[in-house]
Amino acid sequence: MIPIAYNVRSLFVRKTTTLATLFGVALVVFVLSSSRMLARGITETMGRSGSPENAIVLRKGSDAELASNIENNLIGIIKSAPGIKLGSDGGPLGAAEMVMVIAAPLATARDQVANVLVRGVTEDSLKLRGELRIVRGRSARPGTNEVVVGKRILGRFRGVELGSTFDLNKNRPARVVGVFETGGSSFESEVWADLDFVRAAFGRPAAVSSVTVALASHSSFDAFAAAVESDKQLGLEVLRESVYYEKQSEGTADFVRFLGDAIVFFFSLGAMIGAMITMYAAVASRRREIGTLRALGFSRFQVLSSFLLEAFLLALLGGALGALASFGMTFAHFSIMNFASFSEVVVSFEPTPRIVVSALLAGGLMGLFGGFLPALRASRTSPLVAMRD
Amino acid sequence: MNVVGIGLRNAWRNKVRAFLTMLGVAVAVVAFLFLRTILSSWTAGVESAARDRLATRHKVTFVLPLPLRYAEQIRRVPGVKAACWANWFGGKNPRDENKFFASIAVDSNTFFGVSDEVKVPPEERETWLHDRRGALVGDLLARQFHWKVGDKVTLSGTIYPGDWEFMIDGVYTATRRSVDRSTFFFHWDYLNESLGEGQKDRIGWVMTRIDDPSQAGNIARRIDALFADQDTQTLTMSERAMNNSFLGMFSAVLKAMDFVSIVILLIMALILGNTIAMGVRERAHEYGVLRAIGFLPRHLVLFIVGEAVLIGFLGATLGLAIAVPLINRAVGLYLEENMAGFFPYFRVAPGAALAAVALATVLAFAVAAIPAYQVSRLSTIDALRRIG
Repeated sequence: MIPIAYNVRSLFVRKTTTLATLFGVALVVFVLSSSRMLARGITETMGRSGSPENAIVLRKGSDAELASNIENNLIGIIKSAPGIKLGSDGGPLGAAEMVMVIAAPLATARDQVANVLVRGVTEDSLKLRGELRIVRGRSARPGTNEVVVGKRILGRFRGVELGSTFDLNKNRPARVVGVFETGGSSFESEVWADLDFVRAAFGRPAAVSSVTVALASHSSFDAFAAAVESDKQLGLEVLRESVYYEKQSEGTADFVRFLGDAIVFFFSLGAMIGAMITMYAAVASRRREIGTLRALGFSRFQVLSSFLLEAFLLALLGGALGALASFGMTFAHFSIMNFASFSEVVVSFEPTPRIVVSALLAGGLMGLFGGFLPALRASRTSPLVAMRD
Repeated sequence: MNVVGIGLRNAWRNKVRAFLTMLGVAVAVVAFLFLRTILSSWTAGVESAARDRLATRHKVTFVLPLPLRYAEQIRRVPGVKAACWANWFGGKNPRDENKFFASIAVDSNTFFGVSDEVKVPPEERETWLHDRRGALVGDLLARQFHWKVGDKVTLSGTIYPGDWEFMIDGVYTATRRSVDRSTFFFHWDYLNESLGEGQKDRIGWVMTRIDDPSQAGNIARRIDALFADQDTQTLTMSERAMNNSFLGMFSAVLKAMDFVSIVILLIMALILGNTIAMGVRERAHEYGVLRAIGFLPRHLVLFIVGEAVLIGFLGATLGLAIAVPLINRAVGLYLEENMAGFFPYFRVAPGAALAAVALATVLAFAVAAIPAYQVSRLSTIDALRRIG
């Protein structure tokens, strides 16, 4: 085999060209890795909101909490179904919640509003989401106009600051007393207020959007769902909470993945062409060397693999650069639209070993594809002709 | 042969490389145009929105409705020509639940008076107006679900529970690009009559047509002032602003695409610059010869820049030749049929096409400038001493 050191040194001879190619591949890998990280961030952010140990009850036919409407008298019926975990007070652990989307003025831009999800919650809501922690201020007192806000929207909207107030509806000011985090779920982009306060503020005292219950065990879902759905008169639908949130993120994540892939496709074509140009030039300027190698007894196949290796190394290096750069994106926040609730969810780029390694390999592959034809030409160099030049 | 001729001939010295470079530029141009078309198509609704149209919605949340009487009050505001109310129905085709389309209940008496860009054959329009369960569907939606006039269809309601039966009475087209040709319109009365007592007489929003677009701001303020003291306040904005507020929700994605389209140009510059730099390095010796026989530094600059600009321009033209049919004939038609809600008009904008060619040429000029400058500074002796 022709020593790898030969290829590495060759790459250093033509610094500008090597750098240009490197940079091209780096860009592709950067975009590939970033778009995957974003899609992953979306899925994860929404996915973390739902626990497989909880079940959510919606009105049948409605895809999302926002469109769902459950009358007050059904709440008791739902909570009396079998399969629900009991709370410390001995009663079933379940929370009726009301979801509203309000147009709130952005703090950064004047005259611009964005949709924020407001969730009317009860004390059980907090127990159902064990991961919820107040990181600043304190929790809201039940039955008041106090609210806690997710840490990702803190300061994004006017008045959504610790200690200040903002209008939920006309003459219905909400006072921000605390900031919470839930380990990166979409709840962190929501405002949590008292259920009765929200219902009164929007003039809907007779109904809630959903009822979420804690399951007695992972397997008691079926019993609970069967009991609630069996009475067709109620018109209710039960989903495992994790499944519900997974479905909500599907559209948005698919969209980002599709867009990212389309861009990566074009970018990688460009990078492959770049690698091809570079390798053709390398082969052309090293004709005599190649001739010498062949005369020394290296086979065509060895020359071919040597040049392929060189292209692969070059692209892999570029890929490493791009993958490294994509880690910088983990510091960025990206606000996307949740198609299911028409409200904003702030997500971050989330790297996984799989994403990074596969992006890196994709970079290397671009080198292999781009380098194949030039390497083939190199392997076909006749030693006699080449050395005569 | 003149100086320009020699410069241009240089481009073909290494045919494979010239071809690959042009291909690289072409790919970049295709990608650039693709992204710009996504962006322009997305904002098409905003740019071609009617200027004499206002929309009034609940001030705080789109989830809550307005009382029906608001529509009557808005109609009496000076400057308002016509007003039509509507509710978002949120129906799904039970045969294909994953395909999203807009379904809206409209007040049929005032609908055509406001949305004059919705075109329906007169006889179909008459049938629809007199058929309580009638529906009017966009031509794209009709094609998607293979619906014909006279078909009986069922939608399942996500907001208004249950199965709802409709008769397809007409298929509409549009005279303006801002109109989604895949919407399902039906009579608001049909919806209202079917609802329970507590839910009756509530409307989602009011669309108004005004007689003087320059007065839009004043009229909007007048409408909102009407309800300022009510429990339910309103927010009135132009159709343009309403479409824009929808796009605002995607602003981060739009910004990212904008950014990526610029990164594409960077890739193009890398490919072009690489080729030029390689060519210049290989020909250093030759430049020495040229200088020795009397060519001036500016001639060499002309050779190098001319070659780059030629390749950049030809590559961009090739890209255009690929992108326009690909986007307009293939991808565009597909998206318009299947995702008309997002991309009502997916065509390469002439401005973007021109910009792509111009940018490729300018970038080629820019990346050639540095090696050209270095060559022009090179002394004849030094250049002659260099080999490959």
